[in-house]
Amino acid sequence: MKEQIANIKKNSIKEIENCIEEKQLNELRVKYLGKKGELTAVLRGLGNLTAEERPLIGSLVNEVRDELEELIMKKGREFKKQELKKKLENESIDVTEPSKKIKLGSVHPITQTINEVEEIFLGMGYQIADGPEVEKAIYNFDKLNTPPDHPARDLQDTFYVTEDLVLRSQTSPVQARVMENQKPPIKIICPGAVYRSDSIDATHSPVFHQVEGLVVDKNIAMTDLKGTLEMFAKKCLGEKTKIRFRPHHFPFTEPSAEVDVSCFVCDGKGCRVCKGEGWIELLGCGMVHPNVLSNCGIDPEVYSGFAFGFGVERIAMAKFGIEDMRLLFENDIRFLKQF
Amino acid sequence: MKTSVEWLKEYSDIDVDIVQLADTLTMTGSKVETIEQMGNDIKNVVVGKILEIKAHPDANKLVVTKVDVGNEKLQIVTGAKNIKEGDIVPIAKNGAELPGGVKIKTNKFRGIDSFGMMCSIGELNLTLNDYPNQIEDGIMILDKNLEKQLGKDIVEVLELKEDIIDFEITSNRPDCLSIEGLGRETAVSLNKPFKNPRKDIDELKVQDKKEIEGLKVDITAPDLCYRYIARVVKNVKIGPSPKWMVRRLKACGVRAINNIVDITNYVMLEMGQPMHAFDINSIEGKHITVRRAKKGEKIVTLDEQERILHEDNLVIADDKKAVAIAGVMGGLNSEIEEGTKTVVFESAVFNGGSVRKTAKKVGLRTEASSRFEKGLSAENALRAVNRATQLVELLGAGEVVDGKIDVYPTKQKLNKIELDIEKINGLLGTKLSKQEMVEILKKLDIKVENDMVVSPYFRMDLELVADIAEEIGRFYGYDKLDSTLIKADTTLGLRTKEQDIKKKVAQILVNSGLSEIYTYGFVSEKDLEKSNIDNDIKKYAITLKNPLSDEYKLMRPSTIPSMLQTLAINANKKNQNVKLFDISRSYKNVDNAVESGEVPLQEEILTIGMYGDEIDFYVLKGIIENVLEAININYYDVEKENKNASYHPGRCANIKVGIDTIATLGEVHPEVLDNYMISKRAYLAEVNITKLVKYSKSNKKYVEVPKFPAVERDIAIIVDEQIEVGKIEKIIKKKAKKWLEDIQLFDIYKDKKIGENKKSVAYSLVFRDKSKTLSDEEVNQIMEEIIFKLEKDLKAELRK
Repeated sequence: MKEQIANIKKNSIKEIENCIEEKQLNELRVKYLGKKGELTAVLRGLGNLTAEERPLIGSLVNEVRDELEELIMKKGREFKKQELKKKLENESIDVTEPSKKIKLGSVHPITQTINEVEEIFLGMGYQIADGPEVEKAIYNFDKLNTPPDHPARDLQDTFYVTEDLVLRSQTSPVQARVMENQKPPIKIICPGAVYRSDSIDATHSPVFHQVEGLVVDKNIAMTDLKGTLEMFAKKCLGEKTKIRFRPHHFPFTEPSAEVDVSCFVCDGKGCRVCKGEGWIELLGCGMVHPNVLSNCGIDPEVYSGFAFGFGVERIAMAKFGIEDMRLLFENDIRFLKQF
Repeated sequence: MKTSVEWLKEYSDIDVDIVQLADTLTMTGSKVETIEQMGNDIKNVVVGKILEIKAHPDANKLVVTKVDVGNEKLQIVTGAKNIKEGDIVPIAKNGAELPGGVKIKTNKFRGIDSFGMMCSIGELNLTLNDYPNQIEDGIMILDKNLEKQLGKDIVEVLELKEDIIDFEITSNRPDCLSIEGLGRETAVSLNKPFKNPRKDIDELKVQDKKEIEGLKVDITAPDLCYRYIARVVKNVKIGPSPKWMVRRLKACGVRAINNIVDITNYVMLEMGQPMHAFDINSIEGKHITVRRAKKGEKIVTLDEQERILHEDNLVIADDKKAVAIAGVMGGLNSEIEEGTKTVVFESAVFNGGSVRKTAKKVGLRTEASSRFEKGLSAENALRAVNRATQLVELLGAGEVVDGKIDVYPTKQKLNKIELDIEKINGLLGTKLSKQEMVEILKKLDIKVENDMVVSPYFRMDLELVADIAEEIGRFYGYDKLDSTLIKADTTLGLRTKEQDIKKKVAQILVNSGLSEIYTYGFVSEKDLEKSNIDNDIKKYAITLKNPLSDEYKLMRPSTIPSMLQTLAINANKKNQNVKLFDISRSYKNVDNAVESGEVPLQEEILTIGMYGDEIDFYVLKGIIENVLEAININYYDVEKENKNASYHPGRCANIKVGIDTIATLGEVHPEVLDNYMISKRAYLAEVNITKLVKYSKSNKKYVEVPKFPAVERDIAIIVDEQIEVGKIEKIIKKKAKKWLEDIQLFDIYKDKKIGENKKSVAYSLVFRDKSKTLSDEEVNQIMEEIIFKLEKDLKAELRK
């Protein structure tokens, strides 16, 4: 009997080990461990044994049974693993095939530039102000120290709706409106569309965009203006950017300056963008003219302030390498998608 | 202002090169536009004398010459016909450079060496205007006297070198529209003394007379003419001006005409005071009146154009007629001519604004008017007329009659401004001493008396302490100012709610695949028609008085035409799948704002325009719903709109909050598409951002995640095809009350089996009670009520 058990064990182990698929393994389980299995048959035959032999053989059979069960389980796990591996292999995909996505749209380069400028000034504690585009001449000119017949009204050809209403030729009227409605300290920038009757060509457009800034408080000095613009230029155009103040004249500021920045395309070495000069004219600025302050109800004896303004398209074009301004307003989707 | 550097040197020593000079002046506020260096492109061209001319052995059109160029004798082959032995000519030697980058080298002509070239005036970039005695197609024959200068550089001999700087002069500095003014700026900028070559003029005293040679002057419009001075020159000899004067005029961009006219131009360039000279005999009654023009009065100006005048225009007139438009241009009737014997030099100062208006009105902006309109010094006017007569004597152009007629009703006031050291340092952010400030002002000829700054006659722009601060800043040096940060209370960086919403909306749209565009606010009437804009909107369009063109005549009352135009451009370029948005304004003259001088309504509008595969009404609707959700507008109605003619009458909707329409969306009307030659279906939406701001609630609150289970039920009903699903949903929502958590339409089905003109609509409903588990019975009860109401109101049939 012992021999018989040993044989079953030997054969079954061999068969289990040689087994190659799960179905076969199940068959082997039935063959040896099933109700009619060989090992079960041995157990059934225990009745024929003596009372002394019975527990011995019984425990021997159980031992083998445990061993086989363990073995079958192990083999079974192996098969599961193999099977999964095969399945995963079958499910392999070509990861270089095109993706399925909602294609993103694009933000216009003018907006991108304005956003960038806004973020810089928001970080410096400026509020962002808005105002009408069809504006009263009094805000566009008179309050800004440019009364009728002032020669500066010639500088920019203005679109008129009536004698009293114009398309704002600058965003400065927003400054005047804010000064009228808000007590200092005032720290604002006003981005927006402005209008001048220039014919359309590669560098001119009757509609373009400006960002103007205004600070009014006690003890504001020109050195503060310089520091502010220097910080802005470095943040917007790169840490290496240098600025240069040149005296100039605007009716709404005194003293006034024009500001050049070292060319951010060539770092001031001279290139096509800066016409070989190394400097690019960026903006006009100055200390708010005392007449402007008093026109807007702020006492110039107590407060002083600075203002600055620049064209957005010019910066956007230089930054993105756009050489023809018309592209910005033509809105060809193949152009827009690049941004 | 084009400026000859040579002329500037009369006022200041200049010991730097032209580029450095330009840089220095730019940095003190006289911005240089361009630098021109004439004569620099001619090199190694010298004076030569033709010693002999022999025939070329192998070419009958060429000759072989021997030329003396001082230190050597050169053999030169030429084909020129106008030369003879003994002629003095310009010789471009081997290695010479000529204008236009031409290089001259030793060459062989039919076997004979030629060691250079004889030059024509054209080859030296000269014209018959400069040298009327030369010919164009031949060699330039030089003056015999130049025989003494053989071998000398032609550029020096003919004085071809001219350095010219063109300055941008700001409107506050009419004094710098003169060599004198720029000379002063140059001297101070280079830290050199200002050499005043006109000291004699400054000290000159000329007697006042009431009448000279029978001439009398009256001003009847003293508000427009502050001073009128006349001086007379007899026995005038009209002729050409001397070379030095012609050269300076030319360098400054003025063409020489004759000595008298040239003197007026020369004085204008030198001193900034426009002058006028006219024939005394053309003045009827020898009586000049400075008066306002009569209504409809006509004058033919020097440019031979007839001008019709207005009563606001100022004229210089004799007893019968106007002889000049004051400050703008003289009349043809009083022009200086060959036979002119007695000349009146006029030097006057007019109201700047009036000249500006007149020049604009008659459409004539001249060198004179552009100076007058900035406001000129009445004191300088006297210097100018005295300088002119001085030049007459210098040129021997006539006999200056003693005395002047000087009508000076409004004396020029010199401004006195307190030298407020603290204020000036405060504005500039500097710590300059009084001494340093006074030093700077002194250099600019600005006196300080008892702590008061007295503006000199030529600096009428100095009125306030801020103006003085600028002068001090300019010459202290803007580049020396520190860069400081504002020392003030901290302020908070903020966007307005509208700006925030615009940003958010743009982000959603970009994420949905739309690209942002920028359009002009201008449209034409035709654009509005092409877009089928309703008359009720069209009437709000704002008309520009001076549009660029008819195409840009109106400020748009609707943003639709701009978007359609953009779609059309893209369709025309065969661009596929175009999805665009524009956040910009519409401009509406509501309530006659324009007529009453008020700012008209300007609303921020989001405009969406799309065409392409997989785009339909519902895609557009989804985008807009996402936009509304993103800015927390959750309660709105979608209503069919069939009257808006820009849209397909069956495929257009308004989105409303209460009765307020916040958006319109739909398919573009096929007629409109046709007008724009767009061959695909296109979709449009207008969303009023200004209104969204009103309805957007920004305070979101957390709602507890449900604890009790939900009950789901499906319902399918058959209704008339015409019935909008929105109506069905409304009934369901109303009846299901607070228990309805979600409603999803999952099927719309049409089939003959259901019935003609019928449709089956199926919803999946989710019910939940926040406080307990809903029982089947409760849900059944709700469902029964819903079905009952649907059957009753819509004649719906429950589909089994």
